[in-house]
Amino acid sequence: MMNDPELEELFQDPAHREVVDLLKMSRPAAPPLDPNFRTYLRTKLMTEARRTLEPRATRRWFPFNLSPKALVPAMAAVAAGFLVVLGIQIYLQNQPASGMVAADLRGIQNKTNVATAEPIVIPFSGPIDKNAIADTVVIEPATSVTKQWVGQNLVIIPDHPLAPNTTYTVSLKPRAVPPTPNPTNPTSTPRPQPAPTPVVVHFTTVKAPVAPVIPPSYLSANLSFGQESRLADAGTVFNGAWTLNGQLLVTRPAGQPAPGSSPGPSTTATVSGVAGPATTDIWLMSTPSAPIRLVVPGGSFPAAAPSGGVFAAWQVTSSNQANLGIWDLQGNSQGTIATLASVPDRAPVWIGSDRIAYINQGRLVIVDVHGGHVNGRAIRMQRGSLGGSTLGSLVAVESVDGSTVIDLTSGSLNPLPAGATGFAWSPKGDLALVVPQPSGSYLYLAAGGKNAQRIASSPSGQTWSDLNWAPDGASLMLASKPVGASSSASRLMLINADGSGLRDFGFQQEYSSPQWSSHGDLVLFTRQDEAGGRAFWTANTAPSEGDAAQKQAMAEVDRFMQARLQGDGTAARESLDAGGLSAYQGGASSLMSPAGSKYDRYYPVTVQLTGSNPNKFLVGVRIFVSRSGVQRSFFEEQLSLVLKDQRYLVDAVASTPPVQLGHGPTVLSFDVVPTSPGYQVRVKFDADLRPETVTTDTVKVRDSDGKLVASQITFDPDNHTATLNLTLQTGSTYQLVVTTGVADINGVTMAEEYHAQVISR
Amino acid sequence: MPDFEERELVERAKEDPDAFGALYDRYFPQIYRFAYSRVRDQSLAEDVTSEVFFKALRNIRRYTYSGHPFSSWLYQITLNAIADHYRGQHGEVELEEGASLPSGAPNVDDEVVRRDRSRRVWSAIDQLPRHQRAAMVLKFGEDKKIEEIAQIMGKSAGAVKLLLHRAVERLRRELPPEFEAGLT
Repeated sequence: MMNDPELEELFQDPAHREVVDLLKMSRPAAPPLDPNFRTYLRTKLMTEARRTLEPRATRRWFPFNLSPKALVPAMAAVAAGFLVVLGIQIYLQNQPASGMVAADLRGIQNKTNVATAEPIVIPFSGPIDKNAIADTVVIEPATSVTKQWVGQNLVIIPDHPLAPNTTYTVSLKPRAVPPTPNPTNPTSTPRPQPAPTPVVVHFTTVKAPVAPVIPPSYLSANLSFGQESRLADAGTVFNGAWTLNGQLLVTRPAGQPAPGSSPGPSTTATVSGVAGPATTDIWLMSTPSAPIRLVVPGGSFPAAAPSGGVFAAWQVTSSNQANLGIWDLQGNSQGTIATLASVPDRAPVWIGSDRIAYINQGRLVIVDVHGGHVNGRAIRMQRGSLGGSTLGSLVAVESVDGSTVIDLTSGSLNPLPAGATGFAWSPKGDLALVVPQPSGSYLYLAAGGKNAQRIASSPSGQTWSDLNWAPDGASLMLASKPVGASSSASRLMLINADGSGLRDFGFQQEYSSPQWSSHGDLVLFTRQDEAGGRAFWTANTAPSEGDAAQKQAMAEVDRFMQARLQGDGTAARESLDAGGLSAYQGGASSLMSPAGSKYDRYYPVTVQLTGSNPNKFLVGVRIFVSRSGVQRSFFEEQLSLVLKDQRYLVDAVASTPPVQLGHGPTVLSFDVVPTSPGYQVRVKFDADLRPETVTTDTVKVRDSDGKLVASQITFDPDNHTATLNLTLQTGSTYQLVVTTGVADINGVTMAEEYHAQVISR
Repeated sequence: MPDFEERELVERAKEDPDAFGALYDRYFPQIYRFAYSRVRDQSLAEDVTSEVFFKALRNIRRYTYSGHPFSSWLYQITLNAIADHYRGQHGEVELEEGASLPSGAPNVDDEVVRRDRSRRVWSAIDQLPRHQRAAMVLKFGEDKKIEEIAQIMGKSAGAVKLLLHRAVERLRRELPPEFEAGLT
């Protein structure tokens, strides 16, 4: 059977050949492989590769295409406003008289919010040798692009989206178009030459958006009020909105202190530099009530976009006008959309992620994110409700002339029931609304914004308001209070999307304005405090408690989970029957935490009966995994519990892939700057750091022999920049190392050590 | 992939991240499989595989074609990474060349009872001394030529032949009787 000459030569003995034949016929079993690992590792590698692999400047590694067909999308992109104009100070040699032609560089270099899908447009101001210029263009990190000329503009279109949160460098050596040959002396015509020094432009792409995570087992219909906690005292937060990743954007009185700093007027902040006489600021805040950073000085009424990691808000200008702007969560301005005479008293409303509605001087205005007006209709509005579909193109309007849904795509109007107000769009694109009645309220649902149907009525004498959808679109939360009563009598209630199952959420009489977080595990609401003021609170959600059987099953889940949290495999296995044991052993989930990690905490997410069997429950649990004492990720298990011999045991399990909680800070960029004497290596991070973690032990430079270079370090917390002062040999190569000891203000450390080559010039 | 195509891809990968990604896609399965065959722990195999490709990325510009497939270089890095790991762990549970398989080979015996013949013989390979095991996995698990195995392991072809011969002899000699019956 052996057909390998090497083996035939090596093994002559028949007994050996039998073993070899068996080995040739068999293969080792395929190793267990987490399918996510391969993708995860590839992503990390590609990020590192794009950072470290540099193309040779002389090599053309991209296609150069001037086909007219390709110009169409380029021009369309330009027309749509997806345009990055990199004005470049260009000196063209061989120009007559003045000798050089300069283009405008102001406000271009070091742009930090370039979208990953934008073409890069480089305008030229004089006659140029287009093909020659194209030959000299180099983008680092290496990026496959198509280049086209549109008039005097060189349009560079990445073949794939650029990497987020990455600093790119575009360099080129412009040269002028050859002058017309001198007919009397052709040999005297000067040949165009590349500029002696390449023009270099740096820009940084936006951070990757954080996608909302809705765990598969999340079911709002089974949730009830859990524990509540005060987000802020009355008068210290005026309004708030969830971000997609579970943080809060809040409006605070101007001049509130940052973490670990003294109070100071926000007008001195330099986030955007345009703040005027501010009375409020917008802060990013964590749910444990920790202000993370000031993002919009002079800002108010933030509204997070349904996707993309940005938010819209109003900002007071120095002339007391109000700019409608868009910012990312770092506080970087993404642009100003509109300027109004004064600050409106409500937040702008997103319609999808690319349009925004607001009211100005009694008129509804809808604009795209570049400020272009979208609707041509003159719709009169005062204090009526306004709601934009998260899926885009539909907006519900309670105008002076009646309530309607506007389809921005077709321009059509779909009338809503008379008096319709309190619009709330579900994540699935359904519109909920209430219609006040003399003795209560009707709740309507318009699937897809059309054909509103009444699905519930409030108990007599109660009015409903403040509709807010759960992130799974299965439940609505609302505020209910007696007709004519003040908000101090308001309480929160849940109702199923079909109008059934009205129930209390919490038991207090003073709650209103609920907002589900995008993960669904928290609800933000306002509550009247002891002094009569209204404060913002959050409440977590928990599965509803049912009958005794459910409690018994949940007690078993808790016993099982506590054993796993304590690393007691023996005790954990006591909660498993043969099927459950087999499921875990078969890899359906990991009974105990993998080496190097720890199951840190858990909480139940859902509990439901299986069909009509009262002795079988499906329990969803969310398990948080920590490494080195820091929670890094969570995953969910759906446990199936069956009653056997008076005890519930786990007989099956299914699990979800892990969801990363945070990656900790990352190095955004670094620079090597010659100083006198020595050098500075400036390392810029993308997050607020714990200053005590930025030391010469965590940020250091090694020489080519691996020896540590002596240095002193300073840290600028406002600019997230660590600066090493050290002596380097000019022209030598060093290694910058940033260890995982660097932590952000939440204590999350860098996910991995950072290495980069440093060349002193 | 023809040899010249692989060489061209490797050259491009020295400056083109996408080309490096293509190399990763091509070689991930066998490197992970090889790492797992050596460490028998999923988490550790992931760590080793990650280290291999990051080392490859950091050093790919130093790689020069030496007549052997690019994978040989990756296998070399893998072996070094595994050796580094065990060095850090104060030594792999290692059998001396002259030692016999574990007394009574309870694991092997259990395997013999429970598993099919293929699983049995590979379980037995797991019990071989480190170098013999590496040579056997590369020869019978990855179908490498002896010359390439020698290059990966940093040994002469003759030394590899000796390792293979000793390994097969040990398997023949020390596998349980019922296994031998299965061979015939």
